[in-house]
Amino acid sequence: MIETSRRGFLQLGATGTAALAIGSGLATLTGCSKKPATAQGYKVLREGDLLFLGALAPAVLVKAYPGPLGLDARERLLKQLDSILNTLQGHARGELLMMFDLMNSAPLRLATGAPWGSWSEASVKDADDFLNSWKHSSLQIKRMGYAGLCKLISISWYTQPENFPTTGYPGPPVKIPTPVSA
Amino acid sequence: MQPKTNRTPPIPMVAGIPDPILEGIAGGWNVEDAADLNDGQILEADVVIIGTGAGGGTTAEILAEAGFKVLMLEEGPLKSTNDFKMDEREAYHDLYQESAGRMSKDGSMSILQGRCVGGTTVINWTSSFHTPEETLGYWAEEFKLKGSSKEEMTPWFERMEKRLNISDWAVPPNENNAVLSRGAEKLGLDWKVIPRNVAGCWNLGYCGTGCPTNAKQSMLVTTIPGALNKDSALVYSARAERLIIEGKKVLGVEVTALNSDYKPTGKTIIVKAPHVVMSCGGINGPALLLRSKAPDPKKRVGKRTFLHPVSFSFAEFDHLIDPYYGAPQSIYSDHYQWKNVTGPAGFKMEAAPLHPGLTSVLLLGHGAAHYDAITKLPNINALLSLVRDGFDPESPGASIELADDGSPIVDYPINDYIWEAFQRSLTTMAEVQFAAGAKKVRPAHVDAPWYENIHEAKDGIKNLEFRSNAFTAGSAHVMGGLSMGEDLEKCVVDSNGKYHYLDNLFVIDGSIFPTSIGANPQLSVYGFACKLANQLAAKMKASA
Repeated sequence: MIETSRRGFLQLGATGTAALAIGSGLATLTGCSKKPATAQGYKVLREGDLLFLGALAPAVLVKAYPGPLGLDARERLLKQLDSILNTLQGHARGELLMMFDLMNSAPLRLATGAPWGSWSEASVKDADDFLNSWKHSSLQIKRMGYAGLCKLISISWYTQPENFPTTGYPGPPVKIPTPVSA
Repeated sequence: MQPKTNRTPPIPMVAGIPDPILEGIAGGWNVEDAADLNDGQILEADVVIIGTGAGGGTTAEILAEAGFKVLMLEEGPLKSTNDFKMDEREAYHDLYQESAGRMSKDGSMSILQGRCVGGTTVINWTSSFHTPEETLGYWAEEFKLKGSSKEEMTPWFERMEKRLNISDWAVPPNENNAVLSRGAEKLGLDWKVIPRNVAGCWNLGYCGTGCPTNAKQSMLVTTIPGALNKDSALVYSARAERLIIEGKKVLGVEVTALNSDYKPTGKTIIVKAPHVVMSCGGINGPALLLRSKAPDPKKRVGKRTFLHPVSFSFAEFDHLIDPYYGAPQSIYSDHYQWKNVTGPAGFKMEAAPLHPGLTSVLLLGHGAAHYDAITKLPNINALLSLVRDGFDPESPGASIELADDGSPIVDYPINDYIWEAFQRSLTTMAEVQFAAGAKKVRPAHVDAPWYENIHEAKDGIKNLEFRSNAFTAGSAHVMGGLSMGEDLEKCVVDSNGKYHYLDNLFVIDGSIFPTSIGANPQLSVYGFACKLANQLAAKMKASA
């Protein structure tokens, strides 16, 4: 586990925003042997992560979501996020998964400004309030989390060709590959 | 939401372009996917080159032409012309380190680096400059770098300009770049046309997703085919885990075969060669030496890795900019680059191409404000400033550490020195954009609104809070980490590219630069690589 991050996240309790049972929270994070399984069809994301990221998407993307992708929007976004995460190396991957673990743990989530029972219960306004609290936080680790989440969700969304019209981008020229002559 | 689907790209189809890599392989080139080799297989060569980017490709061709048996190793996959479909999604995944998501330790900088055969030259924006005279002078004086004065280096830059067809871009700049030339002209700031390494460029604007027409003279379509045509071997999806070192010699390289998901297949390959060249870049190179526990008595490996931290300024215009079409970079301004060599950091201004995915990241933010900005993409211009880091004690650069899995961590905290340069550059870019007729300007900082005029902008930028992760800071240039020079307190590579503490290890890539360059670095790498590789060839001939 990455020491700096864990210390950083433990600081959340020290700010006094909530009297946490840090002990039980620590047990969730340090028991690496009891990691939740990845979600069906995904390489990195777990069920809890899908709920978390799925709840943030409409707050990050507002009118762009679900957009032209309609009913496929959520899965396309989550699969693209998963694909990116699968290529991240030790440091970036560790930081993000640590944040996701935190978001999946109810007592720790409470201290981060996310008081709902589960992310599936969070409204779009709840998600937006949560993002804004991290955006303006005096804690570097929360600001890093805010920037990371916005960047990941945005790039996963706006690189989907179906979403080009939302931005006004007419798209690239068509490329026709050339068969090999030999 | 206003879908604007009636407009089509200026060039509707790219077809009839041959793929030189696939053609070469069909014609019998010695190219292998490491995953297809046997576990424990031993490969031998006269020289092994780790990394196939600007340094590795250049070195491979020179040594192959000198008659040596060259083996190139590349961590990334092999992608070529037929694969380049101008699609951000595919490109970031296939050609970039960590899907373009590589970041510094505290997450404040996004680092764009290539990770494929041809390295960063496959995804860069073609800008090609000699190493500035001021930079060469600084290296000679501060790092005791020998043989690299302007007079000594110019012939090498000129050789590589010829090899890679580098010349001033003769086509009028696209609107995104014209904002810079028009605005600078109006303000009386110096500006010039950028030299580009292209031949027969279609002016499409997709250099960053892999050139679809073979116009960009990346290593992939020039030196690597050159080396392979002279019977060199290339093994890709092959990650060098560590150098096998005994005393003062590198005996070989331990290599892990990776699968298409970039994960180890479980197969290990050993490469043995009497000469070893590292061309891994300023992040992966130091990481490899750290993993290898290479001798480093002064603890200088992975110190002073520089990134040209980049600030961004967005501007909205009434007329169409179409910042995604046309040669991505064709105009630059060094007006504020060399006011002084040390002291407050100089910066180079250029334009940034804006495709939707990258734009959404650079805008940094969420919700209504982010949506409002990105839906105006056709009318948005972006300027960037490359901050010239490393020329002052206040700018020590990054240090490279290892994560638990052995991958590199780039510890580059943005300090007051860098932030001060950011504020200055954001102010200048806003001036240029308003002078060019912008309706509104917004620096890429989460607190910044769209400013309606230059007075608002100047005031606003002056009062922006310096808060890490609250503003966009990018890097597309990784320089240093294995400084070259004769001063052992600061340098680990000698003036001929040989690692000081090992007899047969050479470093020929961008990691040798003792400071940042102060210009887009590819031609600096090509020029130094050409010089050092020719010296190495002579040395190898002499000892044969």
